Amino acid sequence: MFKIIVCIKQVPMVSELPWDSKTGTLKRELAQGMMDPASRRALEAALRIKEDRAGEDQETHITVISMGPEMAREILYEAKALGADNGVLLSDRKMAGADTFLTSFILAEYIKKESPDFDLLLCGSQTSDSETAQVGPQLAGELLIPAMGYVQSIELDDGMVRVQRHVDDFMELLEMDLPGLLTIDQGAYSPRYVALEGIERAFHTDDIRTVNAGDLGLDRDFNALKDSPTRIIDVYSPATRKENQVLKGAVKKVVGQLFDEYGKIISGAMGKDLKTHDHEGAK
Amino acid sequence: MTGTKDIWVLGDYRNYFHSRVTLQILARAAGLSAKTGGRVCALVFGDHVDEYVNEYIAHGAETVYVIDDPALKDYSVENYSFLMTRLVKEFKPETLLVGATRFGQEIAPRVAKYLKTGLTADCIDLDIDAKGRLVQIAPSFGGNLIAKIITPEKRPQMATIRPGTFQELKHDNDAEGEVIRLPLPSDLPAKKIRCIRSEYKPSRNRKLEEADIVIIGGRGMGSKRKFKKLFELAELVNGEVGATRPVVYADWISHDALVGQAGKHVKPRVLFSFGVSGAIQHTAAVTDADFIVAINKNPNATMMKMADVAIMADANQVCSGIIRAVKEKIRD
Amino acid sequence: MDFMPCYKHQLIRKTVKEFAENEIKPRVSELDRDSEFPFDIIEKMKPLNYFGLQVPGEFGGADLDTISYAIVVEEISRVSAAIGLCVTVHNSVGIYPILKFGTREQQECFIPAMAAGESIGAFCLTEANAGSDAGGVETSAQKIEDEYVINGTKIFVTNGGVCGTILVFAVTEGERDLANVFIVEKERPGFSVGEIEDLCGMRANPVSSLFFEDCRVPVENLLGKSGQGLKIGLAALDAGRIGIAAQALGIAQAAFEDSVSYARERQQFNKPIAKFQTIQNYLADMATRIDASRLLLYRAAAVKDSGKSFSAEASMAKLHCSATARKVTDLAVQIHGGYGYSKEYDVERYFRDAKVTEIYEGTSEIQKMVIARHILNQPS
Repeated sequence: MFKIIVCIKQVPMVSELPWDSKTGTLKRELAQGMMDPASRRALEAALRIKEDRAGEDQETHITVISMGPEMAREILYEAKALGADNGVLLSDRKMAGADTFLTSFILAEYIKKESPDFDLLLCGSQTSDSETAQVGPQLAGELLIPAMGYVQSIELDDGMVRVQRHVDDFMELLEMDLPGLLTIDQGAYSPRYVALEGIERAFHTDDIRTVNAGDLGLDRDFNALKDSPTRIIDVYSPATRKENQVLKGAVKKVVGQLFDEYGKIISGAMGKDLKTHDHEGAK
Repeated sequence: MTGTKDIWVLGDYRNYFHSRVTLQILARAAGLSAKTGGRVCALVFGDHVDEYVNEYIAHGAETVYVIDDPALKDYSVENYSFLMTRLVKEFKPETLLVGATRFGQEIAPRVAKYLKTGLTADCIDLDIDAKGRLVQIAPSFGGNLIAKIITPEKRPQMATIRPGTFQELKHDNDAEGEVIRLPLPSDLPAKKIRCIRSEYKPSRNRKLEEADIVIIGGRGMGSKRKFKKLFELAELVNGEVGATRPVVYADWISHDALVGQAGKHVKPRVLFSFGVSGAIQHTAAVTDADFIVAINKNPNATMMKMADVAIMADANQVCSGIIRAVKEKIRD
Repeated sequence: MDFMPCYKHQLIRKTVKEFAENEIKPRVSELDRDSEFPFDIIEKMKPLNYFGLQVPGEFGGADLDTISYAIVVEEISRVSAAIGLCVTVHNSVGIYPILKFGTREQQECFIPAMAAGESIGAFCLTEANAGSDAGGVETSAQKIEDEYVINGTKIFVTNGGVCGTILVFAVTEGERDLANVFIVEKERPGFSVGEIEDLCGMRANPVSSLFFEDCRVPVENLLGKSGQGLKIGLAALDAGRIGIAAQALGIAQAAFEDSVSYARERQQFNKPIAKFQTIQNYLADMATRIDASRLLLYRAAAVKDSGKSFSAEASMAKLHCSATARKVTDLAVQIHGGYGYSKEYDVERYFRDAKVTEIYEGTSEIQKMVIARHILNQPS
């Protein structure tokens, strides 16, 4: 039995993120949640390993773990619908506000306690909401296992994996001893769509476990927000307004204006001369 | 533990000359150390790395810690994270900065974990607050907001820095720096990752990142068919075509062309932005454009507000208009 | 009573929405323009169980409840009403009658291929002289030894151009005429497909005539008992109405969403038109109608799953959802002004697609008849 753990995260659906440009705040509570696209690729990698091994009559067990609020349960069902064997939700108000240091700590605490015998840990390379790319490597650091990021293909061998990746302009072929952690590249393992039959099946057994801070044996006064080594002191909307010229009216007119006034800048960048308009002198 | 006021910068030289991020961070570190005191130091690990040691000194490093050993020939996360952790514990810098290359993004989180300190990812600015602490400025909440982050207690303060964020200092041949050569520790752990093959293979298409004219189309172009007009324009003006996330998702153009936080960062002299509303993930990747022309029916679109020239009209029609105008104006 | 969607329904909606947005949306206007049935998209839908929505797992289906079914049709139709139509007709009037009235042998014979999407279902009742009045059906089925010989022409058959398994409504002449439904496979000699209709909307669906000329099927292809035709037809239509209601709702939802974003973006008199009270009134009206429609629809679906008669509920849902689709798409065009009348914008297509939801699977007038009959049949 080959045991894979996939860490997944629920993120706001970006295209639907209600964003108040006036106050510069995000109405996160209104945003629909979805499985982070990078997490989904990590799960896809696990599913393909499982399928390949099934073809050789070898068993694979996939556990998905997510840390988040109760509503994150939905993505665990989704993972089950896609083919994961079981799901665990790490959920506690005390875990809210964890930075990557503490998120990786909490995930590692669960893994050490409940599935220390895993073979392979998979994460997305970076979540679509915070994009830090830190939880994967930090989880490996916490568990003292080797890790490789941005992996594009995985091949299992006896007690190790052979992976290919393209990082910083180098195409690498690497071997890593197991147990170990891989994060999956954003361009690899295109995720499948969820089959409707899978969804129906995922809900037949309600076996998604919820684990809180007490279950993990965290200190009574554990508070992720307070205990995180980093602190956010200010959040603001990026300054986007600048003094600009607004052109409106008929297309021909505005295009004419554009070239009359800024033709030199454009032609300079083009590296070609452009005929200037007759009345340029009048500007 | 009381430490020094030193600011350390990891020498990430694998892609030198192309990747300038280490030099860029050195430049900023010099600015920061002017406020906090302490030295600007570079760390260089590898086999025959004097070339980089000299380069970093010429770009502002006052001190370079070097471990030069054949055992460090591979660019290895395991070795680097072990050595960085060891050296930080020994020399106690106040701040440790790493370029947000993929290598940097793999190594920095691990080192932060070993040192039990915080780490801010992908900073787009750094500052020093009134108490002399490092203010790490990074996109947050999906890039829709900018967050200022500090590391109140733990040391060193750690951050990875987005390439292209700072301007490197001029190469100064006369600069002098101290070089501290350290031996390879005898207890370097056995590697669990082995490199079988590594070959230099520059990413598919750097054209977009290096083009002087970039033409970006958003969903406002209307359809895949109309989007194709942008290629005609690009051809005419020697530009490259990029796209926003919805356009890439709709398969109007390949993922390669994505301009945004998860895609490419562009820095053209002129950027044309057609029918782009301007989600921050996207705008963050175009702020380095010298001159922006945005075309959108909605004057309140973020992209219109950050443009130098905002044309309030149908993107698709203006694209045709510009194509016509350029054709007329090109001197034979 | 719980009006909040459960995790399962939420997940089904997101899943279908994702598929439709990614795979169908980029091509939807050209499919409409060229009246093209997208076989490649259908191919992608097959393994995801879109053609066996409520088929039991043993036959390879997804075994969904009816609310889930409605959500699937709604979300596909939100992007492409024509593909939504293909899916709902296949699943409701194509598969459902075989599941409900078919023998075990018939189910084993026909359902797996249909659930896999390898054989698309169609249901044909309408003829040149028979529509709302099923009694006017002229297609005949004559029993000769162990075969039925079918003769007649059916028109306006949804999925007609691509169907593989066809339920045919015909009259068997005898001592007294019996209405019957036969299962006809497209390979049967004597069956042929007419020209694809040139319709106002639903243009990506190959709606066509079907011809039966001495088309012979074995007696095993009679669905239900001889004479049960009307009963089967009505049951099929009840189920079909939930699907069409969901389709209409999807069209309305799409028109509404486009209108909201257009109203926020479009500037007149130096402000977004969403700032004008008239537009706000339109939007509020659209939203309220859509919400009411959705509640009626899910209620009808829940009644169906409870096993009770859902005929009146299905008719109410279909009546209201289709009226909503027509009204909302009308307002959507109005909000878009001249652009809304142009093929550049999707609302033009929604507007064309919406109308027929008041016509097929029983016109609105027929729905009212069904509802009224239900009221007057109640004990006083």
